[in-house]
Amino acid sequence: MRKEIKLLISIIIFCSLKAISQDVNLDSLLDAQTKSKNKNTTQYAEATFKTSRLIDGHTVETTQGGVLDLKISHRFGQLNDGFYNMFGLDVASIRIGMDYGFTNRLTVGGGRSSFEKQYDLFLKYRLLRQSEGKKNTPVSVTLLASSMLQTDTSTLKLEKKITAKPKFSDKLSYAYQVLIARKFNSNFSLQIAPTMVHENLVDSSFNANDIFAIGAGARFKLTQRSSINVEYYYVLPDTKLPGTHNTLSIGYEIETGGHVFQIHLSNSTGMTERTVVAENPGKWSDGDIHIGFNISRVFTIRKPKELKM
Amino acid sequence: MFNEKPLKKIKALLLFILIVSISAFKNQQPQVYQITTGKISFRSDAPLEIIKAASNNLIGLLDVSKNNFSFRIDVHSFQGFNSPLQKEHFNENYMESAKYPEASFKGKIIEDVDLTQDGNYDVRTKGILTIHNVPQERIIKSTVMVKQKIITVHSEFTVLLSDHNIPIPMVVNQKLANEIRVNVDATLESK
Repeated sequence: MRKEIKLLISIIIFCSLKAISQDVNLDSLLDAQTKSKNKNTTQYAEATFKTSRLIDGHTVETTQGGVLDLKISHRFGQLNDGFYNMFGLDVASIRIGMDYGFTNRLTVGGGRSSFEKQYDLFLKYRLLRQSEGKKNTPVSVTLLASSMLQTDTSTLKLEKKITAKPKFSDKLSYAYQVLIARKFNSNFSLQIAPTMVHENLVDSSFNANDIFAIGAGARFKLTQRSSINVEYYYVLPDTKLPGTHNTLSIGYEIETGGHVFQIHLSNSTGMTERTVVAENPGKWSDGDIHIGFNISRVFTIRKPKELKM
Repeated sequence: MFNEKPLKKIKALLLFILIVSISAFKNQQPQVYQITTGKISFRSDAPLEIIKAASNNLIGLLDVSKNNFSFRIDVHSFQGFNSPLQKEHFNENYMESAKYPEASFKGKIIEDVDLTQDGNYDVRTKGILTIHNVPQERIIKSTVMVKQKIITVHSEFTVLLSDHNIPIPMVVNQKLANEIRVNVDATLESK
C-alpha cells in the first residue's frame, strides 16, 4: 500500500514537472532560428562611404544600378592669394560631371574640369563587397580605370617644356586604382588605394611616364548624417614629378535626402587623378590651401522593382 | 502501523490529483505553429512622396495552447523604396539596422479562442512591439483563419515613428510621414 502511494506521488511529481518544462520559450526557439538563418545568408556592409568620392579621389562606393549621380565640384583659389583676391574666393576651378550605375557593380562616369580644360572618362567596377554570414569578406574592393584629356595646349606646352604642337595622344593620361576599404563600425571606415597614373607625355628631363602612389582615406561619422573625411595621396618618391607635392585634404560631409554636400580644405586645384595625385604643385606649409566643395545629387532613372510575394 | 481506511482515502485523493494534473497537462500540451510564409509591407503617405517597401522574411511562432506568440523580422530584408539611396537611408539613418537588426512583436491573444478548431476569428493581440530598439505596448487587431491545421493571419496597423525614437529631419518633412501603415500576412503550420 505504501509503495503504491509512493509510486502515485512520484507520477504526480513527474507529470507536473513535465507540464512546467513543456512551457516552451518561443523567443529562444526564434533565436535559434535567426542564428541559423544568419549563418546561411550574407549580410553586406552598407554605406562604407556616403558617396562615390571621398574628397578629390574615388571611394569603393559605386553608383547603384539605374541611378544617375550629378556631381558639381568647385575649388576656390589659394588662401595665400591674399586680400586682393579675397583669399582665393575670386578664383574658381570647377568640374561638372556625371556618374551612371549600369548595375550595382558597374559605374561609368565622366566630366569636364575648367582647370587645364580637361575632359575625363572612367569605368569603375565593384569587385568585392564586405560581408558577414555565409560569405565572409573582410574588405570591399573596387577597380577604377580612368582617362583624362588635357585640352589646354598652352599650359601643356609650358608644363612639359615642349615647343611643338602636341599630338592628341600627348594630351592623354590614364589612371588605375585598386580601392580597398573596410567599414570597421557604423562610425569609422578606412580606405587604402594603390594608384598608378600614366602620362603619355612627360617633361623630357624626367623619363618615367608612370607615377605610383598610395592613397589613404578615412571617414569618421559625427552624427547620423554628417562626417569628417580625410584623404591623403603619398606618391612614391622615385616616381614623383619634380615640383609636385602629395595631396592632403580634410573635409566635412553632410547629406540631406538625395544630396551629399562636402566642404573641405585641400592643397589640390584639380579634381581628377592626374591633377590630384601626379601633378599637384600646391603645398600646405606654403599656404597653398583651397577651400572647396562637392555637391552630389542622385536621380533615379530606373525604379527598383517592388517585392512580389 | 497504518490504518487501512485513511490510507485508502489518501490513495483516492492522490489518484484524483493525478487525473487532474494529467488532464491539465494535456491541456497545456504546447502546440507550436510556425510561420511558413510571412510578409510585412509598409507605406508612408506624405504630401510629396509615397514610400512603399516589403519583406518576405517574417518569422514567428504561435503556441495555440496558450495563445501566445512571438514574431520577428530582419529589418535589412525590406525591399522596394523609390531609390536604392532611400533604402540605404532607411537602414543607415532611420532604422539603424546594423545596430538593431530586428523588429519584433510578441505577446498573447486577448480573446479566449481555440485556434485548433477551424473557423474565422477576429482577435485582439496584446504585446510588445519593438522597432528601432524602442519597445511599445500595443493592442493590435488581427483576423485569423484556421482551416485544416493551417492558420492564416492578417493584420493592419499603424506605427508612429515618434513612438520609436525615429526623428524626421526638417528637409524631408513633406516626404516622410510620421504615421506608417503596416500590413502583416502570415501563414502558420504546426511545427
